Amino acid sequence: MSYQLYRSTTLGNSLQESLDELIQSQQFTQLALQVLIQFDKAINRVRNRVDFSGSLNTYRFCHMPCMTFIFNDIELQKVIELIKVDKVKIMACDDKNTGYNTTE
Amino acid sequence: PKLYRSVIEDVINDVRDIFLDDGVDEQVLMELKTLWENKLMQSRAVDGFHSEEQQLLLQVQQQHQPQQQQHHHHHHHQQAQPQQTVPQQAQTQQVLIPASQQATAPQVIVPDSKLIQHMNASNMSAAATAATLALPAGVTPVQQILTNSGQLLQVVRAANGAQYIFQPQQSVVLQQQVIPQMQPGGVQAPVIQQVLAPLPGGISPQTGVIIQPQQILFTGNKTQVIPTTVAAPTPAQAQITATGQQQPQAQPAQTQAPLVLQVDGTGDTSSEEDEDEEEDYDDDEEEDKEKDGAEDGQVEEEPLNSEDDVSDEEGQELFDTENVVVCQYDKIHRSKNKWKFHLKDGIMNLNGRDYIFSKAIGDAEW
Repeated sequence: MSYQLYRSTTLGNSLQESLDELIQSQQFTQLALQVLIQFDKAINRVRNRVDFSGSLNTYRFCHMPCMTFIFNDIELQKVIELIKVDKVKIMACDDKNTGYNTTE
Repeated sequence: PKLYRSVIEDVINDVRDIFLDDGVDEQVLMELKTLWENKLMQSRAVDGFHSEEQQLLLQVQQQHQPQQQQHHHHHHHQQAQPQQTVPQQAQTQQVLIPASQQATAPQVIVPDSKLIQHMNASNMSAAATAATLALPAGVTPVQQILTNSGQLLQVVRAANGAQYIFQPQQSVVLQQQVIPQMQPGGVQAPVIQQVLAPLPGGISPQTGVIIQPQQILFTGNKTQVIPTTVAAPTPAQAQITATGQQQPQAQPAQTQAPLVLQVDGTGDTSSEEDEDEEEDYDDDEEEDKEKDGAEDGQVEEEPLNSEDDVSDEEGQELFDTENVVVCQYDKIHRSKNKWKFHLKDGIMNLNGRDYIFSKAIGDAEW
C-alpha cells in the first residue's frame, strides 16, 4: 500500500502544482489522479540513513495509522552532516498493518 | 539529490503510458516534467540536472520561436538574466494549442520558466503576462496563472538569486502588451509582475498566483495585486485574487499585508496578545489560510486572533519552511517521558533543503 503522505514533499508538491497547471490548460483531471498514484508508487523506493536525537514537544495520534510528532531543538545526524533545527514536524505512518502501532 | 532525479524519471516514465493511453499528447507529459523539475529547482532543495541540459537546448531553439507565431498561437519569449552560476538565457516557450501542436520541442524543454497558453479557437485575445520573479533562498516556486478568456497560463520561476524576465509576445490581435521588467540586484528583489487585463471578452482576468513575498502587478492598463501564499496552488485559490483585478489596486501596502502575512501574520492587527503566540500560529495556520485564499490579510488575521487563547504555542520559529519530515515508522516506543523512534523511508525538508533516509533512529524526551 502506498501512502499519499509523500505528496507533501517538495517532490510531490511540485508534481501536484504542475498537474494543476496543466489541468487548467488541458482537461485531464482523471489523468492527473493517475499520475499522482504513480507518484505514490514510485516514491516508495527510497534509501538512505540518518539518525537523530532531540527533545520532543508534542505528539498526536489522531489519524489512524499515522502519527505526528513535533520536536523542538532537534539535532539530526546524517552520515556526513549534522543538521540542527529548532523545530521539526515528523509525520509517520505505520508501514506494517495499517491501523495499529502496538507491536511491530 | 540524484535520487530525486531517478524518482522523477521513474514517475514520468510510468505516467507516460498512462498519458498515451488517455490520448494525451506526449508533449503534455514533457510539459509536466518540465514544470515539475522547474519547481523543484526553485525550491532549491534539489539540484537541477535535467534543467540545465535543457537550458542549452532551449537557447538553440529560441531561434525557432518567431517562426511559430500564428494567429492561433502565442509566442512567448522569455529572457532571463544571467546571474549566479547557472547561465540562464532566454528561453523560448511554446504555446499549446489544442488545434495543432507544434512539432518543435522547445516547449518540452523549458528549464526555468514555462509558458502554457491555451487558446480557444474562437477567442483570440489572451492576456499576456510577464512576470519576473526573484526569490530569496529557500523560497518556493512562484507561479502565476493568469486565466483569461483565452486561458493563459504562465509559469515563471526564478531560482534563488536569479531573475527571469518573461516577455510574452503576441502576434495575434492583441490589445495587450506585456512589458516585463525587473531587476532586482539583490537577493530579495521584489517581484513585479505585469498582467494585462484583456479584453473585449469582458471577462475579468482571473489570476491565481502563488507566491512568495511581495508581488505587485503592474500593467499599462491595469494593476493587479497578487497576494502571496505559499501553499500549493489550486484553481480555487487562484481565483481569489480576482476580486480587485480590474481596478488598479492602489494599495500596495495592503496587498503587501497579506504578502507579509506569512511572516508577521496577525502581528499587525492584533497586537494585544503576545505577538509571539500569534506568529506561532502562522506556521500551522498558514496552510489553512492559504487554502482559504489570501485575498485580504485582514480576514485571516481575525480567526487567528480568536484562536489565541485556545491552543498552545505551536511553534516558536517562524521560518519560511517549517521543517517537515514524512516517513514511515517501524516502531515508536515510549517509557515515561522517554521516546524512542524507529523510522524508515523518510523524506525530510529541513531549513529548505531536502534529505532522504531509509532508516532513522531517534530519542527524545518529552
